[in-house]
Amino acid sequence: MVAAWKAAGLTYNKYLSIAARVVRRSLKEQPRLAAERRGDMQLKFAKWDGGKQGEVKSLAKESVEQ
Amino acid sequence: MNSFRAASRIALRAKPTGALLAPRRNYAEAAGPADKIRLSLTLPHQSIYKTSDVIQVNIPAESGDMGILANHVPSIEQLRPGVIDIIEEGAGSKQFFLSGGFAVVQPDSQLSINAVEAFPLEDFSPEAVRAQLAEAQRIANGSGTEQDIVEAKIELEVLETLQAALK
Repeated sequence: MVAAWKAAGLTYNKYLSIAARVVRRSLKEQPRLAAERRGDMQLKFAKWDGGKQGEVKSLAKESVEQ
Repeated sequence: MNSFRAASRIALRAKPTGALLAPRRNYAEAAGPADKIRLSLTLPHQSIYKTSDVIQVNIPAESGDMGILANHVPSIEQLRPGVIDIIEEGAGSKQFFLSGGFAVVQPDSQLSINAVEAFPLEDFSPEAVRAQLAEAQRIANGSGTEQDIVEAKIELEVLETLQAALK
């Protein structure tokens, strides 16, 4: 039997991260804030092309869109 | 010839007594008490149990719920999002909700469980679960993108298990 997430073309990592996210959101106020703070990251990146810096993007936002 | 025979007789006599007197350390002792399983429950950011001796662990494996005692057959199990029971000597049983991961039973009565998130049941808010269930149901039955529907279905499965566990 193939799991539903696999049949839909999701990777196991993606499946796990969705399950973990919904578990974090189900917590009471205090542990939820602590758990969400743990995931905070402010990494930014930019592509350099021909000696010029491209647009600066947030890594967190980009990886959510993919 | 005679002296050689005498020497070998002394050697034969000396060997067993020496072996009996010397304290021997064997594998069973190094692995801990024979009736306990050594549990490590680890998350990427925290280890909840670190090689502690417990009596039994009940896990929600993909192949079915199972209880693990000492000297279990070595195996690797994928875990469904669900509740694990940890039965400790004296302290009773503790329950955690895991978001999914793997349990590895090693040959020397060691059990390693890896998960992304694990929280005791009292950390969950039934209201938050109910609100998310309604939202996930709406998305799963709605006309969103295929990606949204798949995600909502995964969330539904987790939330339904969670709601059943909280009752």
